[in-house]
Amino acid sequence: MTTSVPAVPRLSAFTLAIDLACLGGAWRWPLVALGLAGLPGLSAMADGEERCVVDDRDREVCLEAPATRIAALSPGATELVYAAGAGEKVVAVVAYSDYPPEAQEVQSVGSHTRMDLEALVTLLPDLVIGWMTGNPPEQLETIEALGMPVFYIEPRDVEGVSSAIERLAILADTREAGDQAAAVFRDGMAALAERYADAEPVSVFYQVWDEPLMSINDEHLIGQVVSLCGGINVFGALPRLVPRIDDESVLAADPEAIVAGGMGEENRHWLTHWEQYPTLTAVARDNLFFVPPSLIQRPTPRLLEGSRILCEKLEVARGRR
Amino acid sequence: MRQLSLPLGILLAASLAALALSVSVGSANVAAGELWAVLRGGGEALSRTLVLELRVPRSLSAFAVGGLLAVAGALMQVLLRNPLADPYVLGLSGGASVGALAAMLGGMGGMVISGSAFGGALLSTLLVFGLAHGTGSWTPSRLLLTGVVVAAGWGAVITLMLAISPAERLPGMLYWLMGDLSYARTPWPPMTLLMAVCLLVIPLGRSLNVLARGPLQAAALGVSVRPLEWLIYIAASLLTAMAVTTAGSIGFVGLVVPHMLRLMLGNDQRLILPACALAGGTLLVLADTLARTMIAPEQLPVGVITALLGVPTFLYLLYRSR
Repeated sequence: MTTSVPAVPRLSAFTLAIDLACLGGAWRWPLVALGLAGLPGLSAMADGEERCVVDDRDREVCLEAPATRIAALSPGATELVYAAGAGEKVVAVVAYSDYPPEAQEVQSVGSHTRMDLEALVTLLPDLVIGWMTGNPPEQLETIEALGMPVFYIEPRDVEGVSSAIERLAILADTREAGDQAAAVFRDGMAALAERYADAEPVSVFYQVWDEPLMSINDEHLIGQVVSLCGGINVFGALPRLVPRIDDESVLAADPEAIVAGGMGEENRHWLTHWEQYPTLTAVARDNLFFVPPSLIQRPTPRLLEGSRILCEKLEVARGRR
Repeated sequence: MRQLSLPLGILLAASLAALALSVSVGSANVAAGELWAVLRGGGEALSRTLVLELRVPRSLSAFAVGGLLAVAGALMQVLLRNPLADPYVLGLSGGASVGALAAMLGGMGGMVISGSAFGGALLSTLLVFGLAHGTGSWTPSRLLLTGVVVAAGWGAVITLMLAISPAERLPGMLYWLMGDLSYARTPWPPMTLLMAVCLLVIPLGRSLNVLARGPLQAAALGVSVRPLEWLIYIAASLLTAMAVTTAGSIGFVGLVVPHMLRLMLGNDQRLILPACALAGGTLLVLADTLARTMIAPEQLPVGVITALLGVPTFLYLLYRSR
């Protein structure tokens, strides 16, 4: 006789892995809203007046006074708030909010997939930074119903990161620091793009996860960085943002370079897996590269450093032709 | 009548105690005096939010869902005269899950998910009942077998949906499959249904007692068997669909609570059905309280706790009863 609740227990280990991949920070987003996002309408007012910004759900979020107690409900949101110069105002974070290191001292309100609302309410936040596709919508609705303003974020491209920092800085009244951080990131990425605009193309396979084997398509933020560095993502045209693939398709695509993150920052074992296929161009030329996932899988200012590393690796691959 | 009222009185007291416990503990600390003030309509704004907006609705939802699942399980076991019957084995919750996951996969929220889950449960009901009916007569074993196979089919569909869904939707879908009360917003729809169905089926207790002995005996004793069986099946589907839409698929309550009560109280449906509503509710309220406080601020899926609490209790009772 069968047991109740089929399928779930067997799947849980695998999906936990996916969950962790998400926590690692790849902020995935289907194509739908891409065209509409546009630039945020910035309409900050002088002190004492209401400050309003448009969030990534295209809703206007207004605060009577600058935010002083901020709850950041994803590791990426935490980084963005700190980047906006409002780190001291963060009163609540979620699990895996490990950057900057000060954020680890802030009280956690549980995992980003299920927040402990009691703990959150007790901290009396006057601004909650929600993650559109990562936090449960029911819980965010409950938070709003309880009278706490929610600012939804979901940066999908380089400009989305800069603009999120600027908008957070308006809400927290830390514009000087925020605008500067946003400009550094925007200019840095623009400089990289310019430098590699005419570089020789390198075909790249970016490995997000090993079991199941997952990559990213061109819509994904990492895919955008690959293109920016003059790489051609061999799985860029696949319809899913984070496609699941198999070894065979990698062998068939025969990329010139394989770039992988990993569970840990120092863990390279995903790359050694490919050494069993010496016919792969990437293996033959030793173009197996590791980019620390925390630098490239979160849509935060650290992406600039991750992008620099990735671009340098692809430059190395060009040198080995 | 005293035979009925004593156990029910004890269970009612246990339910109230469980609800009181659930409202008074949480990851935030609300002092006893403050709690009392809030319940009497006073208290600070923060405590009022914690207790009245977060804890009370969630506890009542847990109670209602537990009651719904236990009553649905008890009805199924009478209908099929098989101790293994429960809404999960018969594919009801599988259908509801597929409906809800399809809505989640389509990016829908709130009411659409509920409606879709309800549609899935009804579809599953019609499928199982219709197919088991077939061209000949249906027997409980035929119905059970159809249900089990349909449930397995839903299981495969669920696996397929999880495999093809975008990664960012997976955590939500998974927690939903494990059962989770943190998404429950208002307790009134499940609570109303629980009360309505209890009022509907408790007067039928005597007929259900006869039916439990077999359809031929029931017919000989003047019970119109076929309409009664349809009524039970539809009621059980409705209960399951509501429970699943409120809190995701929480296993185990529907199977174990009726059995536990039968081992302790005997097999009189007039007593078992209301007792199931109370005991199922109590179990889920306690389980949910543990789920949200045990490793707070991290939250556990409540389905894990119901199984961890229920399995040893059930095995102990079963062992003792021999």
